[in-house]
Amino acid sequence: MSASVALEVADLRKAFGGILAVDGVSMRIPAGQRRAIIGPNGAGKTTLFACLTGALRPTAGRIALFGRDVTRVAEHRRAAMGVGRTYQITNVFPGLTVLENVLLAVHGTSPRKWVMHRPLDRYSAARDQALAALARIGLDGRSGVPVRLLSYGERRQLELALALVGEPRVLLLDEPAAGLAPAERVRVGETIAAIDRRVTVVLIEHDMTIALGLADHVTVLHRGRVILEGPPALVRDDTQVREVYLGHV
Amino acid sequence: MTPWILQALNGISMGALLFLLAAGFTLTFGLGRVVNLAHGAFYLLGGYLGLTVLRGTGSFWLALVAAGAGIVAVSWACDRFLIRRTRENVLGQVLLTVGIAYVLADVCLAFWGGSPLRVPPPEFARGPIDLPGGIVYPRYRFLLILFGALVAGVLWLLYSRTQLGALVRAGVDDREMVDALGINVDRLFALVFGLAAFLAGLSGVAGGAFLTLYPGADWDILAYALVVVIVGGLGSLGGAMIGSLIVGLVDAYGRWLLPEFSYFMVFGPMALLLLVRPTGLFGREA
Amino acid sequence: MVSLATLAIAIPALAAPWLLGTFWISLVTQMLILGLLALSVDLLTGHTGILPMGHAGFFAVAAYTTAILEVRHVQGFWVSAGGGVLVAVLLAVVFGLSVRTSGVYFILLTLALGHIVWGVAMRWTTFTGGENGVSNVPPPAVAAVRFADLSVYYYLVLVVVAACGLGYRRLVRSPFGLALRGIRESESRMRGLGYNVFAHKYAAFVISGGLAGVAGVLYAYWNRFVSPAAATFHASAEAVLMGILGGTGTILGPFIGAAIILGIRNWVSGYVVWWTSVMGLVFIATVLWAPHGLLGLVRELRRPAAPGSPPP
Repeated sequence: MSASVALEVADLRKAFGGILAVDGVSMRIPAGQRRAIIGPNGAGKTTLFACLTGALRPTAGRIALFGRDVTRVAEHRRAAMGVGRTYQITNVFPGLTVLENVLLAVHGTSPRKWVMHRPLDRYSAARDQALAALARIGLDGRSGVPVRLLSYGERRQLELALALVGEPRVLLLDEPAAGLAPAERVRVGETIAAIDRRVTVVLIEHDMTIALGLADHVTVLHRGRVILEGPPALVRDDTQVREVYLGHV
Repeated sequence: MTPWILQALNGISMGALLFLLAAGFTLTFGLGRVVNLAHGAFYLLGGYLGLTVLRGTGSFWLALVAAGAGIVAVSWACDRFLIRRTRENVLGQVLLTVGIAYVLADVCLAFWGGSPLRVPPPEFARGPIDLPGGIVYPRYRFLLILFGALVAGVLWLLYSRTQLGALVRAGVDDREMVDALGINVDRLFALVFGLAAFLAGLSGVAGGAFLTLYPGADWDILAYALVVVIVGGLGSLGGAMIGSLIVGLVDAYGRWLLPEFSYFMVFGPMALLLLVRPTGLFGREA
Repeated sequence: MVSLATLAIAIPALAAPWLLGTFWISLVTQMLILGLLALSVDLLTGHTGILPMGHAGFFAVAAYTTAILEVRHVQGFWVSAGGGVLVAVLLAVVFGLSVRTSGVYFILLTLALGHIVWGVAMRWTTFTGGENGVSNVPPPAVAAVRFADLSVYYYLVLVVVAACGLGYRRLVRSPFGLALRGIRESESRMRGLGYNVFAHKYAAFVISGGLAGVAGVLYAYWNRFVSPAAATFHASAEAVLMGILGGTGTILGPFIGAAIILGIRNWVSGYVVWWTSVMGLVFIATVLWAPHGLLGLVRELRRPAAPGSPPP
């Protein structure tokens, strides 16, 4: 194959006690693709993500990142290998300032995070990088504000910015539009659409407009299994998908 | 052969006492996520209260019940006015309960003084008992083993066979879910917390009969109870049972074989266990 | 360069032996030593977000090592003091694996580990002297200067504590320090951003243990006597409380907290027998009404929104 495969999942299984949250999922996501993973609640989407980032160890199966087997690789190492992630429930650093939040992301992929004897201010390049990232989401004026004082929408933007700053090769977005007002949703959609095409984006979304609007390719999950895969148009009109969503109370 | 069996009996009787204390502590945490470091002070205060009742009435059984009831009252007050205000704040809860323990210990010192006091066991439990194999053992400690086993059995039945126990188990597993089912988790917790307090007070009397009551006994016994809870796993009743047996036996043999390192014998393996299994034998994520 | 606040502290600190009598100098010295212990704990509670309840173990181990090296092996200051800190660091390297646990397990585990140190100090009578401890620790002799006089020893303590304080300040303002605070706020996100959370926590723990060891060495020379009392749970709990009382996440907070606790202990115990209750009430009151400590209260009243300032 000419284009490399960013993410390959082979027969992935994840069990919690007796419950199979992910039941034999296989996927092949080429580099640069925008893949949407949709499915009703409880379909196993977030569990799948957790296995992809390394937050959870799969019970069986294989995960490969750009050809390298990462099934047993720790989460922080995968992040260093270029995997970025956002969370469905906003996961930022509330007691720190906006700038400190982004600085953590900037330093995260460099050995600077182990420096114990030089003050943070010394690293002006990192600081500039952080401020630039904040400027892109319009928060550079609030850099000194503690994050817990930000609005929900601003925190959601920060959530995304933290994942982008590290310049990931594969970006996993877990319901980036969750809880946002319509205008904010549009903005999130635009931000994601504007992400560099060299970055592979995999997103979980309930908002069909965003999911099908952004995606090149869609995977539909139901009860831990892939029930359909294809371009957005195919998925949009599929009767089985409709049943699964409407019949699932 | 005989000394080995004697030490085993020492260990099991100590384990019985530790179970009484650890069971309440572990369930209180499992259901309510409450870490009550005043549990040792409850033990000591209960023991002293029981002693006073025993001196006044001459009845050991009344002393046990009074100690238990008294500590239920004290623990209710502590929870209602103080502990409740630190929910979700583990750091605060730890420091708060330590503060409560300090105050209670001082109260004990003021009323009962600094000399070690022994709770006299009831008539039928005094003296030695002849066991098969020609073994002669203090009757009281042997009866304590039976008592501990009885309490363990009753608790286990309640926990695994009754609907109430099922609710507690469910609450330990997933508190939010039980809440969502419309069950008043707060009241359930109050019940468990009260039971834990009752057992703590009662165990003070039981322990006071062979370990004596003295300033510092609260922390001495709590340290052991914590090892039981850590090894057994927070929130696990079965873990508390197995843990108390293990700790009791290791302590007894440790004191006998290597007295200078007996502390290390008890706490060392615990630390090693946690390195391998950070949540103890049967525990779940903190 | 040198702020007004620094001068306000430095000048009285340097002039203290001329201003205060022996009793007060001894108290201030003790405050500096215990404040350093509280500072070491606060690296973990205030910055990393974990609660170690057994740090008196490192303090005591260093104190015992220094005392034994001086008294029984007549090793002199550098070997004894260095040995003390080294042993504390080694113990922290071993006990530091406890950061594999989290939440309540970590609290209880460190409590139990601290208790081991106390138990060994009590029971291993042939080595530690048991309850009788190690006594007659000679005053330190540093390069032909004998710090025999308490007022003079005060300066040694002041210099060491100030140096540690400055080093600590560097540490918490570095990228490593920020990483610790990130861990405090969200371990999961830190992992996602590429941080090896265990390694960071472990490093912080070992540094913290070493710092507690420095305090222990200073204590051995100040008290001239080391007993299991240095390793009790009470000592560990007080070290935690001092940091919280003064203000977690700050550098002066632990020292302020130490001053308050020592003040209570020395003042109250002179009037009442039940000063343990007072200590208990201070614990309770701090948790309920001043959870961010005195400096936290001050900060609330002033309400600045300084960027990059240590968090409440």
